[in-house]
Amino acid sequence: MNDVETSRPQLDPAVLYKALFLAVVATFVLVPLLATVLGGFKSLGELRVNPFGLPHRWEWSNYADILFSRRYWQLLRNSLIISTLTVTLTLIVASMAAFTFAHVTFFGSSMLLSYLTLGLLFPATTAVLPLFIKVRDLGLLDSYFGVVLPQVAFSLAMSILLLRRFFKDLPHELLEAALVDGCTYINFFRYVTLPLSRPILATVGTITFVNSWNSYLLPLVMLNTDDLYPWPLGIMVYQGEYSSEWSLILAFITLTILPTIILFIFAQKHIVAGLTAGAVKG
Amino acid sequence: MRGYSGAPLLATAESSPWLLARRSISDGRFAVLVLFLPPALLLFTLFVVLPIGEAAWYSGFNWNGFGRPTAWIGLDNYRFVLETRAFWLALRNNGLIIAVSLLIQLPLALTLALILAERFRGVVALRMLFFLPYILAEIATGLIFSFVYDGDYGLVASIWHWFGAEAPHLLANTQTAMVAVLLVIVWKYFGFHMMLYIAALQGMDRSLIEAARIDGATRPQLLRYVVIPTLYPTIRLSVFFSIVGSLQLFDLVMPLTRGGPADSSNTLVTFLYNNGISRMRVGYGSAIGVILFVICVTFAFTYKRWFMRDE
Amino acid sequence: MGSLTSGVLRRLVLAAAALMVAAAGAAADTTVKWLHIEVNPAQVKIWEEVARAYEAAHPGVKVEMQFLENEAYKAKLPTILQSKDRPHIIYSWAGGVLKAQIEAGVLEDITDQVKGYSDTITPAALAAFTQNGRVYGLPIALSQVGFLYNKVLLAKANVDPAQIKAWDDLLAAVTALKAAGLTPIVVGGADKWPLHFYWTHLAVRIGGRAAFDAALRGENGGFEGETFQKSGELFKQLVDLQPFQNGFLGFKNPQAVGYFGDGKAAMTLAISTVYHLQRALAADKVGLGEDKIGWFDFPVVPGGKGEPTDTLGGITGWLITKGAPKEATDFLEFFISKDVQTKLATGNFLIPVVKGAEVGLNNAFMKQIADNLAKSNYHQNFYDQSLGPSVGRVVNDVTAEIAGGSMTPQQAATAIQAAWKQGN
Repeated sequence: MNDVETSRPQLDPAVLYKALFLAVVATFVLVPLLATVLGGFKSLGELRVNPFGLPHRWEWSNYADILFSRRYWQLLRNSLIISTLTVTLTLIVASMAAFTFAHVTFFGSSMLLSYLTLGLLFPATTAVLPLFIKVRDLGLLDSYFGVVLPQVAFSLAMSILLLRRFFKDLPHELLEAALVDGCTYINFFRYVTLPLSRPILATVGTITFVNSWNSYLLPLVMLNTDDLYPWPLGIMVYQGEYSSEWSLILAFITLTILPTIILFIFAQKHIVAGLTAGAVKG
Repeated sequence: MRGYSGAPLLATAESSPWLLARRSISDGRFAVLVLFLPPALLLFTLFVVLPIGEAAWYSGFNWNGFGRPTAWIGLDNYRFVLETRAFWLALRNNGLIIAVSLLIQLPLALTLALILAERFRGVVALRMLFFLPYILAEIATGLIFSFVYDGDYGLVASIWHWFGAEAPHLLANTQTAMVAVLLVIVWKYFGFHMMLYIAALQGMDRSLIEAARIDGATRPQLLRYVVIPTLYPTIRLSVFFSIVGSLQLFDLVMPLTRGGPADSSNTLVTFLYNNGISRMRVGYGSAIGVILFVICVTFAFTYKRWFMRDE
Repeated sequence: MGSLTSGVLRRLVLAAAALMVAAAGAAADTTVKWLHIEVNPAQVKIWEEVARAYEAAHPGVKVEMQFLENEAYKAKLPTILQSKDRPHIIYSWAGGVLKAQIEAGVLEDITDQVKGYSDTITPAALAAFTQNGRVYGLPIALSQVGFLYNKVLLAKANVDPAQIKAWDDLLAAVTALKAAGLTPIVVGGADKWPLHFYWTHLAVRIGGRAAFDAALRGENGGFEGETFQKSGELFKQLVDLQPFQNGFLGFKNPQAVGYFGDGKAAMTLAISTVYHLQRALAADKVGLGEDKIGWFDFPVVPGGKGEPTDTLGGITGWLITKGAPKEATDFLEFFISKDVQTKLATGNFLIPVVKGAEVGLNNAFMKQIADNLAKSNYHQNFYDQSLGPSVGRVVNDVTAEIAGGSMTPQQAATAIQAAWKQGN
């Protein structure tokens, strides 16, 4: 749309307005983030008088203390375990089910599919109390699986739909040819479907990972020993402990969102594709 | 019965269920059905479907969660919920969130998408920057902004300090707390919607625009009559996600205000947590959950039927 | 819920767990898990020393301390108690919450284990942790709620604390402080319970023990009765003077205590332990020294049926959860012993419950509090604890709403009565 405008040599006021607008929005996004990162480098007193700018004296101790504490790495470790378990289980279970829906017609398949789609309509939060009771009754409170299993269950609907669409879009000739050669469905799944589905698996895996990594309510309800807390719970406990020592808290926040930001920088394409494709195709 | 599109190998065999069944077993279709489907169905039923049913069941009891529920009180919990002022405040707040999302966030996202769907130096960086808030955890965002809004150390406060005045505690004031929360919501989610629109814009058929141009359409006309109509499906989707997401808001509000002060910034889920889980009033909390479920499902069905008929 | 599915699943899960445990190697030690809410690092340090001393004296036993902040603790405790990995020793303010916990069967009956030892504890304190003759925990400290004041700031406004005897005197003092441009009172409104002190103490002054007992029995309109309406009205009188610090509804209690320690407010209605706590939470970590800080009891209400000696405060202690190892109770006895209590009393951290430990109190302030408590015939436990988990929180909610101006005293009293009728 801009093609005509950009070929003009002189400054177009529209471009100026756009640039200004972009600058305002960029500031809106950046300022809280930068203040948080820099705040960790300031002492509490300096934070009060100089919240926006660079620190006059760089206090490395806030960040260092956290980086060298056992607690920080334990939180990240727990998050990693929970998220990895969730992603692995989701991918396995969902791809199996999606494959079935994609290639095996059976009585009630569309009913079952609608049944699964129900899961998209309401969030885990509505049933969190009975979920808590159920997890307790299963003896899974205070265990990784107490968080992982409900997370997997709730991501199944979206994952199965996405995977099924992708599987169906694979060329049918492949399956036909394989069957002619006497290949079983299961072997087809293992040796053909899965390898070809790397993009969609990466996408589903990424959505699931990010959602699990950031999740707060479910772990809050299911986990009660701080050894098992993932970082969202850990950061709230930390804030409760150091209530007004903002420089410490800001340092902690920065260090806990750092993994997410690093992941984002390296896996941008997947994340964006994943999170928006999930929306568009669902 | 067709297992897959395309010509069946033995046309006559298709009509015999016996042969069909035998083939299903030999090519492993049956095995797939029996092995691949149950795990998903089991997990889903156990952790998603049953809990909702149980919520409906528990909501009829006065129960603190220990042992088994014994004190049946019928629909009383629902009456209690409807009599609680905090519930109506939460409902109002969820409505406000939806309104702000639709009236402020989406137009903002659309405008940015229109600008950033083009190619120019730095556009990808800008897109990533605006998308960044979306991938940060809600809990971290809430904490960051509880700092920004802090009356003594916050960024907002420092502006007042610069003028030598004492800063207001925005999150401690029943009038301003919800507004502050709304701003954070816009900050966090506009990037997501922007990316949706950009994807749609980039996938748009250029020939339509060229045709309209040739017909002499101006930029505003192009926008109104060609671009935006093409975006309708995406906008509808965007609205859907906005509303569903707004109903679930919890992680963001907790670090900011915990639903306060005086319940003025409660959402339905923080209300559920504060009353159901913190106080272990399982029946009461389940009633809230059921109400939320009904709202979500009613909205989803109505919306899908009215607005997304072609999906 | 289908016990069949949960049974089968449970077995599968346990099998998997067993494999994991076997792989990790089980520990032979007993670990005593101790969950606390103490934010005063000086006190926590002493506790750690006691824990280490116990470990040294009892090889094979580890004492593991866990911390949760006050409000988060109250919110999470119900779910924590449901977990089979729950801590063995938990903090308690006794009262109705304790009663609910006993009824839910989550606490261990330690009556037999503490026989003999329990005689060393002041009877009134032990009684708070006993129900129907069975003991479920041990008290550790007594505390009183009253006004801590900053001598310097009061002097600036020409307010004489010794003259603040009646409610109207307090209101006059607030007005004088405001006129002098000072912040009269600091309160942690975000946590709500600091606000409920005002309302509750007014009820104690207006109706005394008789009114509270009657309300519990549902007489005189229960919590909608005259006493509680009047409490709300008098509290509103104070609120209308705008005595609190700017943004008080956003201040958590530790912040408020720090604010007082920084010398930014003239008074605060707080638990006696704040005397010491404000030093740790002040920005300079020094706070107000002994010479700058003073105490006066909550003012009386003319015509009130309460005695001037009546006190509001806590009997706090520790509970043993069901299934805890014997070592947990053993450790608790070690912790609440004359030596440790005397040490803590000397450090002015608490008013001890072990007989004879009061000799450690070397501070005029602490001695005065101990005195008040000894003289009191009616020691009312914090309402938000004594009324039970659900009603208690309603009391907090409504007093915060009166303070914020979003509820009238009438509505507040009605809400509490309604919650009381709904039961826990």
